[in-house]
Amino acid sequence: MSAANDALVPAAADELSNFARARRRFLGNPAAVIGVLIVISIIAAAVLAPHIAPYPNHAGSFVDFRSRHQAPTLLHLLGTDNVGRDILSRVLFGYRVSLLLVIGVLGIAVPLGVVLGLLAGYFGGRVDTAIMWLTNVMLAVPPLVMALAIAAVLTPNLVNSMIAVTAVWWTWHCRLVYRVVKSVVAEDFVEAARVAGASHLHILFREILPNCTAAISVKTTLDAGFVILFGASLSFLGLGVQPPTPDLGTMVSAGAQFLPEKWWEAVMPGLAVLYAILGFNLLGDGLRDMLDVEI
Amino acid sequence: MTVSALLRRAFGFAFVLLGLSVVIFVVARIVPGDPARIALGPLATREQVAQLRQEMGFDRPAIVQYVDYIGGVLRGSFGKSLLTNRPVSSDIAQALPATLELVLFTLVLIGVLAVPLGVLAARWHNSWIDNSSRLVSLLGVVTPGFVVAILLQLFASHFHFFPLTGRLSPDLGFVPDITGLALVDSLLKGRLDAFGDALRHIFLPGLALSAAGIGQIMRITRSSMLDIARRDHVETLRSFGVPGRVITLKYMLRLASIAPLTILGLEFASLIGNAFIVEMVFAWPGIASYGLRAILSKDFNAVMAVVLVSGLFFVVANLLVDLAVALIDPRLRVGAGAGR
Amino acid sequence: MTAAPILEIKGLNVGFTGYGRTSQVLHDIDLTVETGQRAAIIGESGSGKTVTMKTVIGTLPHPAGRVMGGSVRFAGQELLTLGRREREKLKGTDISIVHQDPLASFNPVFTIGEHLDDVLRFADRRLGTASSAGDRRQRIEATLRQVQLKEPERVLRSYPFQLSGGMRQRVLIAMALMHRPKLLIADEPGTALDVTTQDEILRLLNQLVAEERLTLIMVTHNLAVVRQTADYVYVMQAGRIVEHGAVRDIFSAPRMPYTQRLLEAIPPLYGPRVERRQARGSEAVVRASEVVKRFVAPKRWLELAPPAVTAVQNANLTICRGDIFGIAGESGSGKTTVARMVMGLASPTSGRIEIDGKSVEAWRKDPAFRRRIQIVYQNPASSLNPKRTVAETLSVPLAFSGAIEKSRRPQRIRELLERVELPASFAERYPHQLSGGQKQRVAIARALAVEPEIIVLDEPTSALDVSVQKTVIDLLLRLREELGLTYIFISHDLSLMRNFCTRIAVMFRGEICEQGTTEEVFDSPRHPYTCALIASVPVLTDAEERAKPSVTLEERRAVLASTTQ
Repeated sequence: MSAANDALVPAAADELSNFARARRRFLGNPAAVIGVLIVISIIAAAVLAPHIAPYPNHAGSFVDFRSRHQAPTLLHLLGTDNVGRDILSRVLFGYRVSLLLVIGVLGIAVPLGVVLGLLAGYFGGRVDTAIMWLTNVMLAVPPLVMALAIAAVLTPNLVNSMIAVTAVWWTWHCRLVYRVVKSVVAEDFVEAARVAGASHLHILFREILPNCTAAISVKTTLDAGFVILFGASLSFLGLGVQPPTPDLGTMVSAGAQFLPEKWWEAVMPGLAVLYAILGFNLLGDGLRDMLDVEI
Repeated sequence: MTVSALLRRAFGFAFVLLGLSVVIFVVARIVPGDPARIALGPLATREQVAQLRQEMGFDRPAIVQYVDYIGGVLRGSFGKSLLTNRPVSSDIAQALPATLELVLFTLVLIGVLAVPLGVLAARWHNSWIDNSSRLVSLLGVVTPGFVVAILLQLFASHFHFFPLTGRLSPDLGFVPDITGLALVDSLLKGRLDAFGDALRHIFLPGLALSAAGIGQIMRITRSSMLDIARRDHVETLRSFGVPGRVITLKYMLRLASIAPLTILGLEFASLIGNAFIVEMVFAWPGIASYGLRAILSKDFNAVMAVVLVSGLFFVVANLLVDLAVALIDPRLRVGAGAGR
Repeated sequence: MTAAPILEIKGLNVGFTGYGRTSQVLHDIDLTVETGQRAAIIGESGSGKTVTMKTVIGTLPHPAGRVMGGSVRFAGQELLTLGRREREKLKGTDISIVHQDPLASFNPVFTIGEHLDDVLRFADRRLGTASSAGDRRQRIEATLRQVQLKEPERVLRSYPFQLSGGMRQRVLIAMALMHRPKLLIADEPGTALDVTTQDEILRLLNQLVAEERLTLIMVTHNLAVVRQTADYVYVMQAGRIVEHGAVRDIFSAPRMPYTQRLLEAIPPLYGPRVERRQARGSEAVVRASEVVKRFVAPKRWLELAPPAVTAVQNANLTICRGDIFGIAGESGSGKTTVARMVMGLASPTSGRIEIDGKSVEAWRKDPAFRRRIQIVYQNPASSLNPKRTVAETLSVPLAFSGAIEKSRRPQRIRELLERVELPASFAERYPHQLSGGQKQRVAIARALAVEPEIIVLDEPTSALDVSVQKTVIDLLLRLREELGLTYIFISHDLSLMRNFCTRIAVMFRGEICEQGTTEEVFDSPRHPYTCALIASVPVLTDAEERAKPSVTLEERRAVLASTTQ
C-alpha cells in the first residue's frame, strides 16, 4: 500500500494489542464463528460417536433387512441404507475415519512440505532447483489421479489412503512456504541476523519460520476440509477405505446405486462431507482475514 | 515474455513431464513388487504370471524397462492394454476428444459465469449482489464434486430435459469425426439437431465440473478487482474524472484478469482430477472413465498413459496461461528491465 | 480584489469509518487561496494534508471517508453540496492534481498514450466538446513538449515501466495541465525521485506556474520545497492547521514549536555547522584500492549472455579511525555496494579492501571480523523481525558471539536499551508496538551488542519522519563520542551529511568522483557532478540559495547525460 493510502488510515486503535484486534476481527465475522462451531461439532461427533450415535452397532456390518431403504424419519433422522443401517450413526462414525485421515495426512505432509519449502527458499541454487522441480512434477498431475494411481497399486485401506494422499499433499505446502520464504528472505532482518553471527539453523527456524506460521496455519485449516473431500473422493471411486468401515465417500457411492428414488442414501452422506468442508473453509477464511495473510 | 522465454518455459515443462514419467513408472512398476501378479490377481497360476511377465518385459532391469517405455511413448506407443486388449494409444485417441470437449466447455462456463460475477461483486462491494455471489462461490468451493454431480442427476431425473448419461443420443446416428468435438462437428455439418442433443448431454457434466472452478475464479476475480481498486493509478484516473465504468471495465479488468488466469492454470490439475468423478457419474466416455476402469483393473500401461496425458493437459494449459498473461502484461513482453 | 477566492475552505471536518466506528482525521480546517497565489500545505505523514486535498478534488475513499461538516468553495461555488455531474466536470479541467508516486500512478498494462487520451477524451466529453483522436493527439503532444519531454511520440507509445521516474513525473504534470486548470494541486511531486531529478521537476513546475499564471497548492513535507515553490504556507499537524502565514514570516519567526522542529529538521547547507566534529586521528582503518564490482545476471538458456553491470568502478578510499565517513550519491550510484563489500557481504570482482591492513577476504573466515563491523539499515520496519521481541532480537548477537553467558544476557540487554535511550520495559515489545524512531534505536542497539568498531549506517534516518531524524542523529553522535566508533554513513541527503560527516566521498554511476573532508567537498567542489548535486539540494534561506555553486540547466544536463562507463 502506498504512503498516500497509509495517511488515510485512522491513527486510532493503536492502543489495542494485535491479538485483541485480531480477535475482535474474528468474532466480528459471523462466517468465521459459524466455521468454528461447525468444526467443533465435527470433532465432537468423531470423538463421541460411540456415545451419541443413535445406533452405535450400525457402524459395522450390521444387517436388518426389515428396515432397509427407509426415508428420513424421527427414528432415523437421515434415513437408512440398503441393509437397514442408520445413516446418521454411520455418518458420525464416518467423521472418525475422515478426521483420522486428516491428522495422518497433514501430520506428515505439512512438516515435510514446510521443511522442503524452507530449504528451497532459503538456500536457493541447486537445492532450490531440485526441490521445486520435484514439486512442479507432482503438481502437474491431477492430485486425485496421482492418488488413484498410488491407491491402485496398494491395497485399499485407511493407511494406504493416507499414504496416497500424503504423497501428493506436501507439494502444496512446499510451494506456499517457498513463496513466503522468498519474500521474507528479501527483508533486511535476515541479513541482519547473519551479520549478527546467527547460524543457518537459527535463521531458518527462529527468524523465517515464525513469519510463515500464519500462512501455514490458514492453509492447514483450509486443507483439513479438502483432505476430507479427497479421501471421500477416493473411496467414492472405490479406492479408499473399504466397507464395512463407515466412510462417507463409500456411503455416497453405495447410495448412488439407488438414485433417484432412495436419494437420501447418497445425498445425506454427501451433505455430511459438504458440512465438514464448509466448516474448515469458513474457519480458514476467518483465520486468513484475522491474520491478514495471502494464500 | 519473449519468444525465448516462452521456449524456455516449454522446455521446463518438458522436463516436468519427463520427471512425471519417472515418478509414475516407479509407482506403477516398481512399488507393487510384481505388477504381473497384481494384474492377473491371486487366482492366476504361476505359469500365467511368468508368461505375462515375459510378455510385458517385467523380468528385465527397471532401467531398461523405463528406457524402452519412454522410447515407445516418443513413438506414440503406450503398450498394450490388458483391459481392452488393444494398443493403449488407440484407446486414448478414442476417448480423448470427449474429455477435451468436456474440459473446454467447462472453461467456457467458468469464463462466462465467474468473471462477470466477480467483477459485479467487486463493483458493488458489500451489496446484496456481492453477498449472494460470495455465497455462490463459497458453495462452489465447498461442495464435493460427487455431491454436485449427484444433485444434478437428481435434478435431471426430475425434469427429464437433460439426459442422465452419455455424450450423444445413439438414435441420432451422428458421429463427430471432423474435430472429434461433437458440439463443433455438428455445427460444421449443419446438424442442428445433433448440436442441441450434444449441448443437452454436456450441460450437466460441464456444470458439475465447473462448480469448483466457478467458485474459485469468482473469488479471485473479486479480490483482485478489490485490490486493484485501492491502487494509486485508479485514484489518478478518478481524480481526472474518467468515468467509473471505463476505469472498471477497461483499466482494472485487464490488470485484474492476470490473477484468475494464473489460478486457472494452477487449478487445472484438480479440474482434471474432478473429471474422473464427473465422467464416472455421467458415464461420459472420456479418458477419465477409461483411466478409472484401468486403475480398478490394474491395467498399468493404461494407467501410466492416462497419468501422462493428464500431465500433458496440465502442461499445455499452463503454457497457454503463460502466453495469455504475457499478452496482457507488457512487463513480461517488452523492453529492458522486464523480468518476473 | 473583490472576486471570490479560488478556494475557500471553512471549518472542514472529515472522518473515516472503519470497524464500526468513525475517527476524525480533519478538524476545523480553514484555508483560503486567492487566484494566482502559490500556497503550500506542509505536514508529516498522517497530518491530514492529503485528505484535505482529496476532499477538494472529490476523491475521498467511498464510503469510508465522510465529510462531517464545513464548507469547501471553489470560485464561490460550494463543492460539498454540488451535484455529482457538476462535480465531475471540474475534475481534471478546472481543478487538477499532480500525483506523487510516478510509477504507481499509472496502470502498468496500458501505455502512457492510452492514459492521456482517455483523460483528455472524457474531460472533453464532460465539457460537451467532443474531439477527434487526431486533434487530441496533437494537444497531448503539445503538452508533453511543454513539460520538456523530447520525443513525445515515443513517450506515448511507452509503457509506464519503460520510462524513468523523472519522465513519468513530467507526464503526470502534463496530465494535470491539459485543460489549463484554474487550480493546480501538486502532491509531493518528485519526492520519490533523486535530488537532482526532484530539483528539475520543481524548477519546471515553478516555470509553468509563472508562464501560465496558475494558482498552485503545493502539498509537501519539506519546508525547503515550500520556500522554493510557494508564497503562503499552512502548517498541518494531526489533522489541524496549527500555523499559517507568508512563507517569509513563518521561516523567520515560526510561532509553533512544531514548525520550529520542521525547520530544524533541515540542517544548513552553508554557514556554521550544527555539529562540528573532526576526525580524531589519521590512522587508516579501512582502505579500498581499485575496487571493481560487476554484477552478471546468470545467462539463461536460449538467450544471449546478459551484459555485466558495473556497480562500482575503480573505487579508492581510505577511512580513518573515528571518521564519520559519508558516501553520498543518488540511487544506483553504487554507494551501498561499496559498504556491503567493506562488510564482507559481497566480494569485489577485482581490487582489494583491507581492514587494519588485512584483506576482508581473509578476515571473512574469522568470526571476530563480524563483531568488528556492524550495520544499521535504512528501513527499521524491514530490519527488525516482526515476530520477535526486542529482547529476542538483541539476544541473537549476544548468543552467537559467545562473549556473554546466558545468565548475564538480560542485564546486557537492559544496558543496550539504556545506551539507545529506550526504557528497559521495551525489551518485551514487538516491533509493531514501537514507533519508527524507536525501531531504529533498537536496530542501533543490535549493532552495538557485539561492541563493534565500525558501523555502516545505510541511510539510517531517511525512512523516519523529519522531526524524528534529528533525535536519531544526535544519538549516533553521542554514541560515537562515548564508544569511539567509526561510522560509514551512506546517504543522499547532502545537507545532513554536511553537518554530520567528517569526510565525504561522492559517488556517481559507480565511480567515486570526489573525496575529501566535508569542508573541501562543500566549499570548493571540483567535479561538475558534485556541483550539480549540491546545487539541487533544497535549502531554507535565500542566502544559502545564492551560496550554492552556480550550475546552469545546460551544464547540469550535460553532466547527468554523460556516461562514465
